[in-house]
Amino acid sequence: MNFEILHGLRLRLRALLWRGRLDRDLQDEIEFHLNERAARSGLSPEEARRRFGNTTVMKERTRDMWTIRWIETLMQDLRYAARTLRKSPGFTIVAVLTLALGIGADTAIFSVVDSVLLRPLPYAEPSRLVELWGNVKRVKVERRGASYPDFVDWRAQSHSFEGMAVLDNTVATLTGVEEPERVAGEVVSQAYFDLLGVRPAVGRVFRPEEDAVPQRDAVVMLSDGLWKRRFGGDRQVAGRTLQIGERDYTIVGVMPEWFRGVSDQAQLWMPAMMGGTAADLAERGTRSFPVLARLRPGVTAAQAQAELDGIAQRLQAAYPLTNEGRAVEVAPLDRELLGDLRQPLIVLLCAVGLVLLIACTNVASLMLARSEARQREIAMRIALGAGRARVLAQLFTESCVIALAGAAGGLALAHWGARLLVTASPVTFPSFIHPGVDLRVALFCTLIACAAGIALGVAPAVQMRNANLAEAFKQASSHAVDRRDGRRFRGALVVAEVAFAMLLLTGAGLLIRSVGQLAAIRPGYDPSHLLTLRIGLPRPTDAREVQGRVARIPGVVAVSLGSDVPLDGGGASFYAAEGQPPVTAQNRPRVYPHRVSPDFFRTLRIPFLAGRPFTEGEVHDGVSVVIVSESLAKRFWPGQDPIGKRIKIGSLISKTPWMTIVGVVNELKYRGLPNNPTTDPDMFVPIAGPVRNPALLIRTSVPPASMAPAVRRVLREADATTVIYGVRTLEELMARETANSRFTGWLMGIFAGSALLLAVIGIYGVMSYTVARRTREIGIRMALGAGRGQVLRMVAGNGMSLIAGGLAIGAVLAFALARLIDTLLYNVTPGDPIAFVAAAGVMALVALAACLAPAARATRIAPASALRNE
Amino acid sequence: MGDKALVQGTLDMLILKTLTRGVMHGYAIVEFIQQSSDEVLRVEEGALYPALHRLELRGLLASEWGVSENNRRAKFYKLTAAGRKQLAEESASWNRLSGAVARVMQTA
Repeated sequence: MNFEILHGLRLRLRALLWRGRLDRDLQDEIEFHLNERAARSGLSPEEARRRFGNTTVMKERTRDMWTIRWIETLMQDLRYAARTLRKSPGFTIVAVLTLALGIGADTAIFSVVDSVLLRPLPYAEPSRLVELWGNVKRVKVERRGASYPDFVDWRAQSHSFEGMAVLDNTVATLTGVEEPERVAGEVVSQAYFDLLGVRPAVGRVFRPEEDAVPQRDAVVMLSDGLWKRRFGGDRQVAGRTLQIGERDYTIVGVMPEWFRGVSDQAQLWMPAMMGGTAADLAERGTRSFPVLARLRPGVTAAQAQAELDGIAQRLQAAYPLTNEGRAVEVAPLDRELLGDLRQPLIVLLCAVGLVLLIACTNVASLMLARSEARQREIAMRIALGAGRARVLAQLFTESCVIALAGAAGGLALAHWGARLLVTASPVTFPSFIHPGVDLRVALFCTLIACAAGIALGVAPAVQMRNANLAEAFKQASSHAVDRRDGRRFRGALVVAEVAFAMLLLTGAGLLIRSVGQLAAIRPGYDPSHLLTLRIGLPRPTDAREVQGRVARIPGVVAVSLGSDVPLDGGGASFYAAEGQPPVTAQNRPRVYPHRVSPDFFRTLRIPFLAGRPFTEGEVHDGVSVVIVSESLAKRFWPGQDPIGKRIKIGSLISKTPWMTIVGVVNELKYRGLPNNPTTDPDMFVPIAGPVRNPALLIRTSVPPASMAPAVRRVLREADATTVIYGVRTLEELMARETANSRFTGWLMGIFAGSALLLAVIGIYGVMSYTVARRTREIGIRMALGAGRGQVLRMVAGNGMSLIAGGLAIGAVLAFALARLIDTLLYNVTPGDPIAFVAAAGVMALVALAACLAPAARATRIAPASALRNE
Repeated sequence: MGDKALVQGTLDMLILKTLTRGVMHGYAIVEFIQQSSDEVLRVEEGALYPALHRLELRGLLASEWGVSENNRRAKFYKLTAAGRKQLAEESASWNRLSGAVARVMQTA
């Protein structure tokens, strides 16, 4: 039986492919038979043919047998659809383009969602990879990372994990070549590569014994990029040396091209044991790195968390001084790497889905108008014996053809769009994210196209439902009446379009307001006209000479030296204030120290609330002075003059020197935007003595980026071995902090704009169509004495009530859904009246214009010509 | 002659049986059935070709184009393995049926 079906199918498919041959063969076979008959029985050919019977019927029967019925029907319908669509190119182009835009945008966003959220990380069994963060409970729980002794204890005492590895970021200075450079790298335990399941492309990874003794084994692994750049892709590179700082490292292997470490920036890897001195590595209180770990199969993150909670408790008891209040957080790696993108992308996917809905609505109303205009044709076909189902199938085929053509256009659009989205976006996507049109995305695209096709087919189907033949003929011949159910359906489409567009506009309004709020943030310093960079000097040097050279460049207003740059990292220290009450580990004061030169406050234009900047003398005399931010002063000396008070790094019993407060500045958003990651204050101490890696902050009178080449030149002239890196304007650094919000905001704006445009086109189309259908009616009314105002009110009034209804529904929907994007908003509440009023205003204005233009045209109808029109 | 029209199932069986003699074209099949039934069974030509094509689609026959005795292009049919099996089943059940009919006709 199965054989028969398969065999038949094969033959039929072959017949389908060679349709002409089947007909010819049949003809030949009959011809042969007739000739044979005539020759052998002596009958005349006519007689033979007569005896044979009706050859046409026979041929039909045979051909039917050979063909697959539904494919034949489908091909017929497709040919017919292509013909009718070609006959109305205007309709076809508008419909296909509208859908292509909708589907294209949808697919582009989906391809990004797919590559970011749906695909696993490019590591072996990534679902079992987690990061372990030491955290501490203060005002709120703050993330800190692990210290090496903590890491060793977690690893030794836990059973939930297959392995653990230190995962610290570093910046290495490659020396021993003409042009030294700074490259990002990772300091990792030997287990790191096994945990990720990454094999070296050349050579080997670290051996366990190479990660056993601090500072003993200077070995390094290279990234593919560094290997090609520095060693010309030499496959015998293992065993050669790379000079990092003052030390020669032996290269043991090269990682595959795609691999840039968990940080996605690493160009080299060093064993954890090279990350610090023996003393550093023994320091339990210095916590700086997360731990990468792989859960054992079957162990959940929650189970691992519970186990680590117990271990953290034991460590607290054993080392109260360093571990009080310390816990461990188990965080899935994919959330760590891509979690920030999750919500914006889902919001965008929903938004773009709405755009597609509006596009479909538009095309549906176009199709509806068309099918109404085709009533007569359809009635004729039914009258001639076509089954209703058959006619309906034909109409569905037509909408599917449009949808599929739209999908094809959409795929092309998505192909470019997705790439553009990632390259032009202010958000930096991980390097392993390659959105593009692949099978999954194409499948998604096809699925929406099919859904769209079916949805679009609904419009003609509704028309067909109670199409009465006689009535259809009557109606088609006289355009006097606008059919009621058609009108209601079109009305519903307008309401839906306005509601969806309103929803999107409100969402965009909220997000763009939030972007505006972010842009308006005053960080406490003046970020305009500031160029920042870091230099690596060959040996510790008093950098004031360099500073002076840069200051003399024309266009430079002020230059400051610093230990770090705003918004670019830096660590915190505990401190103690003279005469402070006793503190517990939870509220032990913590501060971010920055070392700066006296010009710092002038260069960044940081106003003083009290006191004064450093003087040049204070930089050298070994006088311990400090400038603090406001909240530090308020914490210990509320209502008092903090000038002259003293603080020290460490605790009250530390041997560190007391520092006298000489100035107080505003709270600065120095470590993150829109807010510092922690509420700890900042403090500034004079940068003194020789330094190796100072930051330069340069205030310019011209656009700061344009000064970079001159600064580079001057620095190189001073010392050719100076490494210059991290050249960025402060505004770039600020923009990086708010990239996610801007990405979401602007894309949402684009989608809302497209939604608005599509809705306007839709409303205009429906209104124009209505007016066209009612031309005769309007003509009669005007002939009977209706004034232009009355006609305008009649035509526009209907449209306006639809728009008002859509606005109301959209606003309610927006109000309900806005809470979902709450976390994406900064300084804007989800119910922000400005966003709502602006969205409603724009929508109402534009929709009214789209509705009034056709209505105004209606008032210019000349009664006589309208009546003659038929 | 038209009064002995063959029902479809029977025609199929006769075609299969005829083709056990070897490869034949449609005309030869008609002639053979007519002659071997002493002109009792007349195959309606309009029914023959649909039947042949049906059997071919079911995989019971295979066809190929060749050249007839008088050098004309003709479509030749031949029995497949599946066709042989089918014929065996059908002739068995035909024998049972005709035997039964014959017995009824004799006793009554």
